[in-house]
Amino acid sequence: MKLEVKQIYKSFEQKEILHGISLEVESGKALGLLGRNGAGKTTTIRILMDVFHADKGEILLDGKRFKPEKSKIGYLPEERGLYPKRTVLDQMIFFARLRGMNKEEAKKSALKWLERLQIGEYASKKLETLSKGNQQKVQLATTLVCHPDIVILDEPFSGLDPVNSQMLKEIVHELISDNKIVIFSSHQMSYVEEFCDQIAIINHGEIVLSGDLKDIKKEYGKNRLILSAENYTLDKLQEKLKEELADYVQIKEQKKDFLVLKLSSNQTRKQLLDRLGKADIEIERFGTYEPSLNDIFVAKVGE
Amino acid sequence: MKRFLVVLKYELKEYFTSKGFMVTTILIGLIGAILLSLPRVIDLSEFTGVEVVAQQKKEDNKEEQEEKDKLYLVDKIGLTNQAILEEYFPDSEWIMAESEETLKEAVQNQEAEAGFVIQSEDSYDYYLYNRGLDDEISDQFDEAMQIFYRQAYCEANELDYQQIEEMYEADIHVNEQILNKDTRQNYFYCYILVILVFMMIIMYGQSIAISVTNEKSNRSIEVLVTSTTPNSLLFGKVMAGAISSLLQVGYILGCILISYQFNREQWGGMLDMVFKIPSEVLITFAFFGLGGFLFYAFLYGAMGAMVSKTEDVSKSSGGLMTMVMIVYGVSMALLSNVDSIVGKVFSFLPFSSYSVMFMRIAMGTVEIWEVIVSFVILLVSIIGAGLLSAKLYRLGTLRYGNPIKLRTALKGIRKVD
Repeated sequence: MKLEVKQIYKSFEQKEILHGISLEVESGKALGLLGRNGAGKTTTIRILMDVFHADKGEILLDGKRFKPEKSKIGYLPEERGLYPKRTVLDQMIFFARLRGMNKEEAKKSALKWLERLQIGEYASKKLETLSKGNQQKVQLATTLVCHPDIVILDEPFSGLDPVNSQMLKEIVHELISDNKIVIFSSHQMSYVEEFCDQIAIINHGEIVLSGDLKDIKKEYGKNRLILSAENYTLDKLQEKLKEELADYVQIKEQKKDFLVLKLSSNQTRKQLLDRLGKADIEIERFGTYEPSLNDIFVAKVGE
Repeated sequence: MKRFLVVLKYELKEYFTSKGFMVTTILIGLIGAILLSLPRVIDLSEFTGVEVVAQQKKEDNKEEQEEKDKLYLVDKIGLTNQAILEEYFPDSEWIMAESEETLKEAVQNQEAEAGFVIQSEDSYDYYLYNRGLDDEISDQFDEAMQIFYRQAYCEANELDYQQIEEMYEADIHVNEQILNKDTRQNYFYCYILVILVFMMIIMYGQSIAISVTNEKSNRSIEVLVTSTTPNSLLFGKVMAGAISSLLQVGYILGCILISYQFNREQWGGMLDMVFKIPSEVLITFAFFGLGGFLFYAFLYGAMGAMVSKTEDVSKSSGGLMTMVMIVYGVSMALLSNVDSIVGKVFSFLPFSSYSVMFMRIAMGTVEIWEVIVSFVILLVSIIGAGLLSAKLYRLGTLRYGNPIKLRTALKGIRKVD
């Protein structure tokens, strides 16, 4: 399956919020939607789920118009909410049946997910009697109860403690290896970096960067090197490089343990290494710089 | 349809597993049944006209004998007749006082409830200690005095009092043949049934609106609208509210009916007329009453969708409540003239036909085509109200905060369409 979002525009009260968002993701892959608060991630997801209608643009599944109600979708909205006064199992069966399952299947699947998330003992309890974390898990179990082909998770890690986050990470990995399409938005770059083959960074309603995460990292790391020295602190090293090696490198950033340098276009790594040796710099770390997603994100939308 | 049934079943389960709903229903039914069984255990003969169980009555008689009020009498002209006095005052004991002074003293000391001194055939003195608001003793004594007067007159003029009395009280037999409608009897049924629907709309409409608002207040609406269609959701919710309220009212009325049938003798059949509603009135009521209730149930559902907090429901449904009250007022005013122009117009409007057309059928003159047209209008309006409510419900999704104004919502729908 291939899900494509093409040139989506959306305005609220005469103000355009999304200016031509385009994305695509295939089965067995995860797409991470990144962006600052108010960038348009949730609006994009809501348009995908047909909560809002787009003013322009189209959404296609395998080349045909995508209708959420016709597909098996698990959706975890940003605004979490279930029925507080109803029992956990009861409402999970209800939501599974709304998504086309019969009662027996729904019950079996609900119990399976409750066990998987280690909350099986609460099946017959009212939702309001559970802790916030467990309510969050019930919401996740409800999202997955219908064996969805497409899983859309809007900020799935918010409100989860590290142990539960780890459990969710495992589940997302399972979904990807089960050949599902996974789309999720998050502020937590480390999670996106861990799962997602593809990313899309949205800023002010526009995609400012999208594509294969490895390629993006490679592109951002091109001509960038890391350097630290045994005989200089990073500050002293920076001063020395500025004074003596300005023709060879440009200092881009100082990280905790190394400097990030940009090699001048007319120089090679070998020439730089020779020059460092002549400058009496004892190399501790030297290599290609691979930027983190966080670095890329800040570089793209930080200003 | 399948999803509508899933929503319907889920919502119905919510009603029938709610302790509050079940306890209230069972309690009200029981209270109704117990109240109608009261004449079995408490003497309500003054109200029902039927004496309590004979044996108990006999046992109580002795006590009552002792507790009878005492009335003192001084008859200066020998006019009174003991049998008539006892007939007019069955719960009192008559004591012939020796003198006017003795009588006054007995009243003064509150040994006597009242005292009468007959001065002539057409005048008497009436003594009592305090006059209460409900004092009827002198009125009853007046009636007895008139009989004494007539008897004395007949005796003086050698007339047969018995014969004259029979002539005055001749039984007239009426063989009533109503060829169309018994408006007098139907008035009562109409009144009761219109009030019943009115109460159901007011009581249950609000709870239907709240059940719709709940989904916005607990934020489950986003998962719901992405799992099924707004039509399935709203129709399922409103129909569940309507069915549960009808079952609740049906159960309570059933308890009352069964209890009345069981205690009918003790009531002397005095409530028979409530339960002997003509079948055509009942059938009309079933169609129009139910139709009107559903129409308003959907509108209340729409009002529930306009707000996101249950405490705001009364704000959004205020206009609807006013409309229901106006229709009720107009219906009551039309009871005495159902075939007026206003009555005819209101009998076709969907928000009032549930009561006015029903009243016209029961008490006025109405053609069959008028009934069919009115019912079709009502039916179309119910579906229209349902679809409109579903659109408002969908439009209200994720619009949290202040209540949405109806005009804004309708504009929004037009824009989406």
